[in-house]
Amino acid sequence: MSKLVLYGVDISPPVRACLLTLRALNLSYEYIEVDLFSFEHRTEEFHKKNPQQTVPVLDDNGTFIWDSHAICCYLVDKYGKNDELYPKDVLKRALVNQRLYFDASALFMPLRNISVPYFYHNVTEVPQEKLNNVKEGYKHLENFLGDNKYVNGDIMTIADFCCAATASSLPAVLKMDPVEFPKIAAWLGRLEKLPYYEEVNNVGVRKYIEMLKDKFTYV
Amino acid sequence: MSKLVLYGMDISPPVHACLLTLRALELEFEYIEVNLVAGEQKTEEFLQKNPQHTIPLLEDDGTFIWDSHAICSYLVDKFGQSDDLYPKDLVKRAHVQQRLYFDASVLFMPLKNICGPFFYEKVTEVPQEKINNIRDGYKHLETFLGDNPYVTGDTLTIADFCCAATVSSLPAFLEIDPEIYPKITAWLARLSELPYYQESNADGAEKYISIFKDALTIV
Repeated sequence: MSKLVLYGVDISPPVRACLLTLRALNLSYEYIEVDLFSFEHRTEEFHKKNPQQTVPVLDDNGTFIWDSHAICCYLVDKYGKNDELYPKDVLKRALVNQRLYFDASALFMPLRNISVPYFYHNVTEVPQEKLNNVKEGYKHLENFLGDNKYVNGDIMTIADFCCAATASSLPAVLKMDPVEFPKIAAWLGRLEKLPYYEEVNNVGVRKYIEMLKDKFTYV
Repeated sequence: MSKLVLYGMDISPPVHACLLTLRALELEFEYIEVNLVAGEQKTEEFLQKNPQHTIPLLEDDGTFIWDSHAICSYLVDKFGQSDDLYPKDLVKRAHVQQRLYFDASVLFMPLKNICGPFFYEKVTEVPQEKINNIRDGYKHLETFLGDNPYVTGDTLTIADFCCAATVSSLPAFLEIDPEIYPKITAWLARLSELPYYQESNADGAEKYISIFKDALTIV
C-alpha cells in the first residue's frame, strides 16, 4: 500500500479539495502543514518536491505531484474502487475536466488575485475589476448547476470537490448572496451533508474568511 | 468516423492549442470562426452549445466540449493512435496535467486579464501587477523546462501545445528576453519546427501581438 503524504495548509482551498477527495476515497494519508507565512514553501527542501512552490503537493512513495486538480484526478484513477468520482468514459471525463479547468482559472485565479497581494504585500485596495471577475465566476457556476444536483449532473465528482473548496472560500472577498445564487447555495448545502465536509473543508473556510473579511477597500 | 467542428477565433491562444493538437493527430475537422468582439458567442444559438460562451469549443457529432485543455485531452484519448501526446501512465499523466492546469491558471489568466478589458472595455492602462503576473509565469516555465526539450521531459505532449500557444502570444504584453529565458526561447524554436506550427499557432500569435503593439500603457 502506498504511503501518501499531503503537504498543505488548512486555509487553502486547493488543499481542501484534495482532502475532500482523500476522505471520499477512504484513503489513509499523512497530512503535513507547510507554513506559507514563514515562507516554508520557498525553502530549497520544498523546492525539490515542487519547483512551483505551491501547496497542495502529494507525495506518493517518493513521487511528487502538484496542482490540486492533477492530484485529485490521480488519486481517483490510482486508488478509486470505481470511477464514479472521475469517470473513465472519454466524454464524461471531458465534461468533468471542463469544470476542473473552470475552477482552476475562473474561480480560483480571481480569488488568488485578491488574496495573494494581501497576504504577501499587504495590498488592501481592490479594483472593481477584480471583484467583477469573482462575480463572473459565481454566475457561470450558478448556470452550470442549473437543475442538477452536482456540477456535472446527478453524480458527485471531484469537480464538485474542487469547485466547492474554492466557491465556499470566495465569500472571503465577495459575499455570495443565496437569493442571487440559489443553486450554488443549495449545492453547497448538499455537500455539507458529507460526513467529512465540516472537518476538511468548512473549518478551513471559516478560518480563511475570518482572516480576510473586512480587510479590503474596493475602488 | 466522427465529424469534428472547432469553433474559434484566429487570434485566440487556446484555439491555437486545439489546432496544434488536431494537426498533430492528423484529424479532419471543420473550423468555424466566431467573432468574440462582435459578441457572436453571446447568441442564443452559441449559448446552447456552450453556456460559458468561450472559445475554443469542440463539436463531436453533436456533443459539445469546451476549455482548450479538456478538448486536447479528449482528442488524444479518443482519437490518438498512441498515448504519446497524453500518456495513460498515471504518474506521467499527472505531470502533464499539472502543466495543463499551470497553463490554464498561471499563464493564461494573466493574458486574459489584460486582453479582456482591452477588447471589451477599451482599457489601455495596465497596472504593473498584471505584468508581474506574466513575469512569474515565464519564470516558472523556465524552471519547468530545465534541461528538457519539452515541458514534461523528453516527449512532446499536449502540455507543450497549450503552454506554447499561450506563451507565444504573451509577448504582446511582456517580451521574452532570450537572455533571461533561454530555455523558453529554445523550446519555442524547437516547436516552431513542427510542419503545422506556423499555420496553427504562429500566424495567429503574430496577429495577436500586432494588435497590442503600442496600444497599452503600463502604470
